[in-house]
Amino acid sequence: MENGEAVSPAATATVSLQGIVTGWSEGARRLLGYSAAEAVGRAAAELLADQESGDSDGRSPSGSQERGGAKEWGRAKEWSGSAALRHRDGRRVETALHAYPSLDRDGGVQAFVVSAGHVCGPDGQDSARQRLALLNEAGMRIGTTLDVVRTAQELAELAVPRLSDFISIDLLDSVLQGEEPVAGPVDADVVLRRVAHLSATEGAPEAAIGLGQVDTYPGYSPPARCLATGRPLLSSTADPDVVEWLAHHDSRSSTVRDYGFHSVMSVPLQARGITLGVAVFARLGDSEPFEQDDLLLAEELARRAAVGVDNARRYTREHTTALTLQRSLLPQGLSGQAAVEVAFRYLPAGGRAGVGGDWFDVIPLSGTRVALVVGDVVGHGIHASATMGRLRMAVRTLGDVDLPPDELLTHLDDLVNHLTSDDADLTGDLGATCLYAVYDPVSRSCTLASAGHPPPVVLLPDGTVGVVRLSPGPPLGVGGLPFEAAELELPEGSLLAFCTDGLIESRERDIGTGLDLLCQALATPGPTLEATCDAVLKAVLPDNPVDDVALLLARTRVLHADQVATWALPANPAIVADARAQACRQLTAWGLEESAYITELVVSELVTNAIRYGGVPIGLRLIRDRTLICEVSDANSATPHLRRARTYDEGGRGLHMVAQFTQGWGTRQTPTGKTIWAEQSLPVG
Amino acid sequence: MAKHTLGLVYPRAGRNYTAMQLDFIGGVAEAAARHDYDLLLSPGDTADVPSFRRMIGERRVDGVILMEIRLADDRVARLAEDAFPFVTIGRTHQADESGWVDLDFAALAAGCVQHLADLGHRRIAFVNRSEQLFRIGYGFAHRGLEGFTSSIAESGLTGQAYHCDDDASAGEACLEQILRDDPATTAVVTTNEAALGGLLLGLTRTGRAVPRDFSVVGVAAGRWAERVSPPFTAADIPAEEMTRVAVDLMLERLASPDAQPRHVLLKPLISLRASTGPRRQLSGAGSGEFDLLGNPGDHQDLGNLGEFGEDF
Repeated sequence: MENGEAVSPAATATVSLQGIVTGWSEGARRLLGYSAAEAVGRAAAELLADQESGDSDGRSPSGSQERGGAKEWGRAKEWSGSAALRHRDGRRVETALHAYPSLDRDGGVQAFVVSAGHVCGPDGQDSARQRLALLNEAGMRIGTTLDVVRTAQELAELAVPRLSDFISIDLLDSVLQGEEPVAGPVDADVVLRRVAHLSATEGAPEAAIGLGQVDTYPGYSPPARCLATGRPLLSSTADPDVVEWLAHHDSRSSTVRDYGFHSVMSVPLQARGITLGVAVFARLGDSEPFEQDDLLLAEELARRAAVGVDNARRYTREHTTALTLQRSLLPQGLSGQAAVEVAFRYLPAGGRAGVGGDWFDVIPLSGTRVALVVGDVVGHGIHASATMGRLRMAVRTLGDVDLPPDELLTHLDDLVNHLTSDDADLTGDLGATCLYAVYDPVSRSCTLASAGHPPPVVLLPDGTVGVVRLSPGPPLGVGGLPFEAAELELPEGSLLAFCTDGLIESRERDIGTGLDLLCQALATPGPTLEATCDAVLKAVLPDNPVDDVALLLARTRVLHADQVATWALPANPAIVADARAQACRQLTAWGLEESAYITELVVSELVTNAIRYGGVPIGLRLIRDRTLICEVSDANSATPHLRRARTYDEGGRGLHMVAQFTQGWGTRQTPTGKTIWAEQSLPVG
Repeated sequence: MAKHTLGLVYPRAGRNYTAMQLDFIGGVAEAAARHDYDLLLSPGDTADVPSFRRMIGERRVDGVILMEIRLADDRVARLAEDAFPFVTIGRTHQADESGWVDLDFAALAAGCVQHLADLGHRRIAFVNRSEQLFRIGYGFAHRGLEGFTSSIAESGLTGQAYHCDDDASAGEACLEQILRDDPATTAVVTTNEAALGGLLLGLTRTGRAVPRDFSVVGVAAGRWAERVSPPFTAADIPAEEMTRVAVDLMLERLASPDAQPRHVLLKPLISLRASTGPRRQLSGAGSGEFDLLGNPGDHQDLGNLGEFGEDF
């Protein structure tokens, strides 16, 4: 290798999925004679010495792309081999080729990176083979995961000790956060975070910077200079700028002195025009100083690592974005209701699939009831999360209207149909399921309806556990098919488990088996709901979950007789005064005399309305929970309007006054009519 | 001279005071204590009982609260004659000599009938207190019957009234009698708390489930009504309020002896629990659909509670 021809400069090109050359390195120019301007835009196949054979053996990356049309990393295999290419001057160049896919931000393959080494004469063959082997291994060993740090470690493991005695890899902080880094070279002083270093000596005592720590590289230091120029830099520790750098950095100068650093290569990590960080290779003590060829090899290894880091970074970014979106849409505290005690887990799909569209919700309803919701939008990534957000808001809105579960799902189904027809992006493939349950802590009844969603599992206080049988219903978006509600009465302290299919279904087992596992896990609940959540996940979660997982546990509470009072009211105007008196009597018993004035007013108005316009039987209910709730029910399902009151119109003023004096009021349909409710905050203290 | 002591004249219902009566005694004692008055208790049911005579004759107390008032009550007559300050819980025929607080038993019984009518019941029986108490002239027994009778007539329903002794076996016998007299009866109104257990037992014996096949409604102490199975839909007797008002009236009387006596008639609403439901249609269809304010008794009728299926 005396003349540097044993291995030509690492030649790298990028080739699009269509087989067109989109990138051309200086090494490639040296190898094949074409300038970048000449090469970019041409079909890669034209570079083959024997175009037919190159295509027919299917080993050309472009050929394999045309044939395979692979769209996923997992299927777009790396490829190594040899091929004869044609030099610009017409001669044959025998090369060792290595190709690996480069991912776009959605995780799909956007191009292939092809590197080629010139296999030359016998005299340099050993060194050439070694270097080619290193390059080959780089293809296999760098970028095996979508993890930034791991990718850096892989580069380090490959380079030490075969290329250098010590290596450090430092990245810009933004890369580690998954943020979009600044395009182009980085100027002046650079702040970098150490993500990996490795030495031939165990524990890498040569490192002046700890893993995960930050250091500032002055503009004249070799790492900063290589970042500024975007080119690799070979320096000696005797170079003036290095001397100056070390002079200002105690720990660095002492390690350089103690371990005998003498030759250093600073190589920028750049991919797709974006600077990610810098790799510094060093030789110590008795080792030969780096040569120009070493720099080329280091450059190639760094380029390889940079693409891996960039892939991981993009993935991190999208994953983080979708996760942020997902998290922002999932309920935070789930407070504001006392009907159930809840605990939940949301696990985004690990690995490659990305965040999905699972969601769950706990919606406080009137009359201390609560809606428990779990749903799943098919697909992954930001789109699924965004669609999930729309559905979740829709369910919240429909829940606020207090629709019964089957009716609510019918409206949601309509909405999904509208979404699908309105939004071109969603055409045809917006699959979603939803389970909606309403629990009433006064009657202890739970009404549920499902749109193609797995049923909940329930553990009764006596220890029996089972899957709630309910009609599965069609998934959302099918349209036109009815949803059926089921009702069950739950003893106090029943434990309901709602989940998405990610928990109970996997490649290895069907939903039925998963539900059985869930039943078994729920049969021995932990001391707390949180502990039960963990135990259920541990017992039921598939080994390699491919889908995201939502789990919502709800333990039912019951409002006892001392918190609820319900009365029958004959439809007789004379009863209004009795009802007022009764309400006051009840408030006295509850120690809530302060609320008497407003309650009397509310009772008067609502009862008068019911007697005047409603149907028998009429009922009055007071609930003392987090608020004081007054409800009047009658058998007429016509909902009252907030009529505009005129000065002389006693009757029409009712609801206006109720609205003014209470924290909230509303109506809900019941199987036999309607309920009008008004809620007041409890007196303080 | 003020003794800061009130007398409570309260005959025992039997050998002992009932839980309901103890609530009243406790209520009066507590309300009196709030005004720094002590309480002297006499079980006198007539003016001749020695403890009553001592309380009045020796003026041991500043004023007397009388309970278990008959329509014609010689204790009331004696106190009025002696111009001894007193108020009554309950009221006599004239009901104007003194201040009083009372439950509007006529309206309560009528309200029970109305409630049953709203649920579709057409043939209703009334189970009153014992014939003996009725004959002695206890106001609640008479006024309850009046309210029931007039309400049945106004609503155009069919109703039959019965006397029943204050115990379970009498209740069971009474229920059998009701069904013998009119097997199509679907509901009972009762002011006889002590007989309720027997009524329910009789219904079970004849294969009638409450509230699916038969409704029972009445007047009772709330705490007790909650513990019956099924919980008893009833107008709750507001003992606390009645005793508080009685003491207030008493103190008003002592403070202004010449003021016009005040009268307070209370009419508690019927607390919906689980012993009433809609009259069952013979066809059975839709009969269980009634959901009045989430009454748990109604939910048992919803028919699809077996959703747990064979997994259980």
